[in-house]
Amino acid sequence: MRAYLALVWAVARKDLMVEFRTRERLTAMGAFAVLVGLLFNFSMDTAVVRPQDIAGALIWMTIIFGGLLGMGRTFRLEEEDGALTGILQSPIPLDALYLGKVLGNFVLLSVMTVLVFLVFGLFFDLRFSGSSVTLVAVVALGVLGFVSLTTLFSAMATRSSMGESLLPVLVFPLLVPVVVYGTTATDRLFAGRPVVEVGGNLRMLAAFAIMFTVAGAWLFRFVIEE
Amino acid sequence: MSQKQARWAVGVLGTLGVATMIVLHWMVFFWVPTESRMGLVQRIFYIHPAAWWIAFLGFGIVGLCSAAYLWLGDERLDRAAVTGAEAGMVFTTIGLITGPLWGRVAWGTWWEWEPRLTLALILWFIYLGYFLVRRSTANPEQGKRFGAVIGVIGVLDIPLIHVSVTWLRSLHPEAVILSADSPMNLDPSMGVTFGVGLLAFTLVFASLFLARYTVAGYEHELDLRDGIPAATQGAKA
Repeated sequence: MRAYLALVWAVARKDLMVEFRTRERLTAMGAFAVLVGLLFNFSMDTAVVRPQDIAGALIWMTIIFGGLLGMGRTFRLEEEDGALTGILQSPIPLDALYLGKVLGNFVLLSVMTVLVFLVFGLFFDLRFSGSSVTLVAVVALGVLGFVSLTTLFSAMATRSSMGESLLPVLVFPLLVPVVVYGTTATDRLFAGRPVVEVGGNLRMLAAFAIMFTVAGAWLFRFVIEE
Repeated sequence: MSQKQARWAVGVLGTLGVATMIVLHWMVFFWVPTESRMGLVQRIFYIHPAAWWIAFLGFGIVGLCSAAYLWLGDERLDRAAVTGAEAGMVFTTIGLITGPLWGRVAWGTWWEWEPRLTLALILWFIYLGYFLVRRSTANPEQGKRFGAVIGVIGVLDIPLIHVSVTWLRSLHPEAVILSADSPMNLDPSMGVTFGVGLLAFTLVFASLFLARYTVAGYEHELDLRDGIPAATQGAKA
């Protein structure tokens, strides 16, 4: 078990180290988040719409679109250098490879998510009065669910002739539960509603995240093999 | 089942299906009495849920056969999955057309974010993704595996999507036909027509499924015939 976790960590660590040194994906995702915040600001007539009321929707849409931008490139580096063949020939179990990729993506997207909250809080003067621990749990579970699906499908997109344009078509319909439960929970917490009101959301987000991380770990081998 | 038997079965099931379909439409338009509350538009219920049932059956076949294909790697399972997906997409489209037709009269709008209608739309797009990935790879075997992965993920996700959209909003008439204390004044002939509708759609589906499955078998044989000489040539060169 410990050896397995070490393998998972090795993959995630490699991805994060590459990212830390190049800052390619994070720069793209971070710039995207800030710029979308800027565009949202111009797209809303604040005399009619209060940003506070639709904060959840804005934040989650930015996480999903920005996330897709970065997640789509999960396997790009390996594909370009032909390193994927090397990794596939190494004795690492394919589910460990998948979980390592999920972990790396999860950390990356979490960083972007924090940035999204900071920027949107600043731009739209959002006041948060709810339970911050619950908000962190909602966001973490939602992001994990999102990452588990997109990591699997980005491997598929890398292997297909359609490339990254395939990703939204595949992922968006499947992502409906994350959007529904993530957005409503975030909106309720921003409105200062009690934690009990988002208990159901948390359970469903957890179910989604666990289900597709497990399913992804099993299905990954059929996607990545030549 | 041999190809000759399959052709026979397709013919018999298809003829029966089309005949039942004609009888169904005669029943819907001329035989069954008009429901007192909803009026004429209620007659679409003999067609709409039947199409819906086939759409789900198709999706069930896709999910089961995809999982089994990934597990066992049997070519026939992939053929059954793609056949189920094609039929499922056609009947989801029928459901998506007949639903809003009824909704225009009953709700006053063509489109309503009603859970089942929303689910149908999402289902349609999952089918679309299934066909897109199948065709997007240079290696057809890989495309089949990709499709199967979408099939499995889709079937796992459908219950969650259903729960989430239902939780968000519900306007759909709750299975008025099936509940015992139904407020509707249900004439026995309505139940009969409904049953005939289910039978007609199932027969048509069965014949389409068998026909498409047989064609997929022919395609596979052709691929083999084309593939083997090419491979031998390659080996010689």
